[in-house]
Amino acid sequence: MNLSISAKKNRIKTSLFSILQVSLSRLPSLLYLTWFQFLIRYRRTILGPLWLLVGPALFIVMLGLLFARIGGIEPAVFVPHLAVGLITWTLISGFITGSTTVFQRGRAQILQGGMKLVDIIMVDVFSTVITFLHHVILVAAVFVFFGIGLSFYSFVSLIGLGLLIANGIWLSLFFGIIGVRYRDLSEVVQAVMRITFLATPIIWMPGAGGRGGVMGAFLVYNPFYHFVELIRAPLLGNPIAPLSWIVVITISLGGFGLAYFFYQRFARNLPLWL
Amino acid sequence: MTIELIKAKNLALHVPIFQPSDRKLLSNPSRFLTDLYFSRTRRGIVTILDEISFTLKPGERLGIIGANGAGKSTLLRLLAGIYLPSSGNLSVNGVAKGLFDISLGMNPEATGLENIYMRGLQMGLQLREIKELVPRIVSFAELEDAIDNPLNTYSSGMRLRLAFSVSTTVEPDILLLDEWIGAGDVRFRDRVKERMDGLVEKSRGLILATHNTGLMKSLCTQGMVLSNGKMTFCGNLDEALEIYKQEQVKPK
Repeated sequence: MNLSISAKKNRIKTSLFSILQVSLSRLPSLLYLTWFQFLIRYRRTILGPLWLLVGPALFIVMLGLLFARIGGIEPAVFVPHLAVGLITWTLISGFITGSTTVFQRGRAQILQGGMKLVDIIMVDVFSTVITFLHHVILVAAVFVFFGIGLSFYSFVSLIGLGLLIANGIWLSLFFGIIGVRYRDLSEVVQAVMRITFLATPIIWMPGAGGRGGVMGAFLVYNPFYHFVELIRAPLLGNPIAPLSWIVVITISLGGFGLAYFFYQRFARNLPLWL
Repeated sequence: MTIELIKAKNLALHVPIFQPSDRKLLSNPSRFLTDLYFSRTRRGIVTILDEISFTLKPGERLGIIGANGAGKSTLLRLLAGIYLPSSGNLSVNGVAKGLFDISLGMNPEATGLENIYMRGLQMGLQLREIKELVPRIVSFAELEDAIDNPLNTYSSGMRLRLAFSVSTTVEPDILLLDEWIGAGDVRFRDRVKERMDGLVEKSRGLILATHNTGLMKSLCTQGMVLSNGKMTFCGNLDEALEIYKQEQVKPK
């Protein structure tokens, strides 16, 4: 691999293809690295990574019973809604809050040169996904408890999951670059994500009226709702509104374009901003 | 005809820095707090490297000498492709890799063996490559008995041996060295020297940043003098050392 840099052009001349090519071959190694670093944190605990389940499990049980009562909804309807929504939200918010500091945390690695920027991103994305995979156990437990069966249609939620993870990649790159230059971003995101959690139908249900009514604006204009819906609706056997597909796919394509542009334009400066 | 391994022309690097607004050395420490509240910082551009031009041909060993803060390490990072130059041209034919921080990414909770894998992956190796290298790494570090113990039970010497052994196990194409690495007790030090000499021998080219004139004399074929980010000389080794000596004597 040769390096030839001319500063005049003021951008890294890398095609998207060459980035993918180098990184794809490294993916299994990076996944292994992330998984190991993830597990090593729990080495001397008794429960190990199962500790990840304790917090959300309490949340689902307590809040599930309480809010089902307050809202007058059957626990068998509300608790699965809450469980899937919560772990999907944790995945989304993990991507977003993590992305703003991803390069700061990888500073030493970047300056060492062994790991490229895309590698750093992938480690972070993998780490969030691994947490999510553990949380899936909770959903499985809830589904078994309430005897909810899966149908062929349920597997559509895997498409939603794939789209969400793909969005995690461009988000990390995009927010990561901005977050290094403007450290304010991580504060902004933290403040916004907390309230967005409440605005998204996770601990409440849109109601029998479905997507219209008083809550309509909270659903239609909330991109997080559409991401959650793509994963949650198939699992609960509800139909997905075409709007959700349109929103998610548009965001995915636009996001990758944006992130690619930012990468081309600003990645060269990134190590200097660190 | 031999082609140059590294060819640099008029390299410069300007770096943005954030500084607290004009403070005096003896200003009241409460100033730190108020400054932070009102985020009184200015953004300045500092030129860290300027007018660096040189070529490195196969087999050549270039020593970069200069005082602390002259920009030696930054130049190495530039050559490794971590920083990109703000202006000028740089072409590297081959893979230039640096040994900057040999123990980066070691986890104290993980065992020696696990750390070999973690460190290897972070150096850009693949799992199966590491698997093949493990016996060599362990035997070089002489840690056969302790390899399954967590790293935080190791003495600092053992840790250093492991880090060194992993970091130097792959021979780089073009070796970038930020100071010579010497580690461990007397016995291990000889083997470190042997390993380092081997790396230098096997690499197609070496760039060593140091302020040790004796080392540079024994190792390098070419010399470059850096002072305050500017290249004041590049060429003959003895001349370079002479110029560096003069620069050290006369205060700026």
